[in-house]
Amino acid sequence: MTLIKNSEIVQDRWSVLEEGQALQADHNIIDLAYWNANKSELIANKTSLGLLVQGDESCDQFTDDLQHFELIAIHFPTFVDGRGYSLAKTLREKYSYTQEIRAVGDVLPDQALYLTRVGFDALEFSTKEAGLLALEKLNEFSVFYQTAIN
Amino acid sequence: MYLYNEFDQTLVNERVEQFRDQTTRFLNGDLTEEQFRPLRLMNGLYIQTHAPMLRVNIPYGLLSSKQLRMLAHIAHKYDKNYGHFTTRQNIQYNWPALEQVPNILADLASVQMHAIQSSGNCIRNTTSDPLAGVCKDEIEDPRPYCEIIRQWSTLHPEFSYLPRKFKIAVSGSPKDRAATQVHDIGLHVKKDGDGQIGFEVLVGGGLGRTPVIGQTIAPFIAEKDLLSYLEAILRTYNRFGRRDNKYKARIKILVRETGLETFKEQVEAEWASIRDGQLTLTDDNIQRVKNYFTPLNYETANDEALEQHLANSGAFRQWFKQNTKEHKQPGYRVAFVSLKSPNCPPGDITNVQMEQVANMADQFSFGQIRTTHDQNLALTDVKSADLYALWQQLTEQDLATANIGTITDMICCPGLDFCSLANASSIDIAQGITDRFTDSAIDTGNISLKMSGCMNGCGHHSIGEIGILGVDKKGEQWYQLTLGGSDSHQSKLGDRLGKAIAKDDVVDAIDDIVQVYKTNRTGDEDFANTLQRIGLQPFKDKVYDAH
Repeated sequence: MTLIKNSEIVQDRWSVLEEGQALQADHNIIDLAYWNANKSELIANKTSLGLLVQGDESCDQFTDDLQHFELIAIHFPTFVDGRGYSLAKTLREKYSYTQEIRAVGDVLPDQALYLTRVGFDALEFSTKEAGLLALEKLNEFSVFYQTAIN
Repeated sequence: MYLYNEFDQTLVNERVEQFRDQTTRFLNGDLTEEQFRPLRLMNGLYIQTHAPMLRVNIPYGLLSSKQLRMLAHIAHKYDKNYGHFTTRQNIQYNWPALEQVPNILADLASVQMHAIQSSGNCIRNTTSDPLAGVCKDEIEDPRPYCEIIRQWSTLHPEFSYLPRKFKIAVSGSPKDRAATQVHDIGLHVKKDGDGQIGFEVLVGGGLGRTPVIGQTIAPFIAEKDLLSYLEAILRTYNRFGRRDNKYKARIKILVRETGLETFKEQVEAEWASIRDGQLTLTDDNIQRVKNYFTPLNYETANDEALEQHLANSGAFRQWFKQNTKEHKQPGYRVAFVSLKSPNCPPGDITNVQMEQVANMADQFSFGQIRTTHDQNLALTDVKSADLYALWQQLTEQDLATANIGTITDMICCPGLDFCSLANASSIDIAQGITDRFTDSAIDTGNISLKMSGCMNGCGHHSIGEIGILGVDKKGEQWYQLTLGGSDSHQSKLGDRLGKAIAKDDVVDAIDDIVQVYKTNRTGDEDFANTLQRIGLQPFKDKVYDAH
């Protein structure tokens, strides 16, 4: 995986908790079901947590808990499913979430710019080539009709 | 009309380069067909039966003569010397080569045009009344608002991967000439008690497989709130619209399944959180765009010369009566350029004709041309004294068929001949109808006939007074007829006449319908009123007894 954050390729210190796996010492990305099942324990641990959500998940299910997460990863089941764009925008605009919002799943380099315009500051790609291309694509436009979140 | 500044031009130029890169990567095998598909569609490029089809936006149907000349140049250089105007005021080219498309887009950019979002699951070209700014009944010119919507929706980062396509139309008059009730969002300009401008907002209209008339979601949204309200609707649709079945993905299905009241609550909740934010339009924002649409420099004119020409020529009189309309300025008329000659498919125009129309626009109509959703063109600001000369020039170009609004002024999709979705051909049926009715069209009176080659309904058959829908029956082409549809201010879907009709019998069946109307009409009663008065049965009897 190649991670772009704030227009640079960076090392990823986070890991996604797979089903049946034990938590890492820190920087775990968990899904909503795991969070709901282990909430008090996870809060007591005081480690850095990220939340993995699907683009079609309603914000209402986790917005009360946003203060516990240093990262929200929004998963795209397919690159043509645009729900994640509205979810990111809503988290930034309506809930004033200022920490990392990461795009994961089926994301094309050609989408990098739009994703950052709606509030994603981190983009995950499966190959380095895709990541490098995405960096180029971030500069494809110098003007926009819409104001951006970033 | 609106003119690009450096900002607009840069954006369009950068889009050309973006698409050039995407095309190169596709041709090199670095983008799969699946990945390239939505990217090319967002630039108006379909892959059709014979070749790619490129759809070019004509924002709210307004063109300069310079732009029309470029469209002619593109038809000549990259296509087979013609183009096809669509029901959404755009133009399509049916034969461009994929590798040439970036060059076509660059040529378009040089005259402030583009193909951005002319297809794909995103916000499409905003359409409007072809008589905007010149009709007497207008509350306010809708075009500045169309331009504001065009800019807001262009390359919108959040709404480029919607569940399905999304179309917006704006009307500035009580008489709806923009088919707003069959758009995903229809906007009607209104004034409140204090004379403030706003919009009645309709939502969930559409044609296609499930035709639906749009419903009012908000009776009055102030102009300053236009974009925030649109954004609230789009965000609600993007979040909740169905993505499991593309035939159920339009906003009309969401509104129907959610219920208008609940949908409205969702939109209003979303709106509450963004209203009065950065999308709020200031008076300055609106005025800046309105300044591009100030009234043209009309001269004081009268109709004396026109009266003489009318007295002298019967053919001119007929054209004048059928193909021109009144103008708000005394001494001026709106002249329609009929693209429904018996000699070519509806909506088609050659590069030579385009160049000549551009010249006529320069000579007679302030260098501007409108496209209509009936697939014709209009020169909207012609001095009545010049109409005779204009008519002569149009006649030379086979663009003066006196049939606007008649049965031969039909709307027709490209059908099986070009489209990979179609079940049946449209163009040869259109030709048959034209041959049958050319001599009697004016005497028959105004009848809107609309035809689609499949249930996707690009030819708007559901809202034709006579609708024809091509269907496939075990590999054979059959046609379903409907009567009584309307796209006027009270839009209505047509009623099915009966079982589908074989291809060879369609023209006879249309003839039967016309005969029933002509036999039963009283005085100058129009088709819709006769149908309403006598009902469907006499038409059914005549058509199905005969075949």
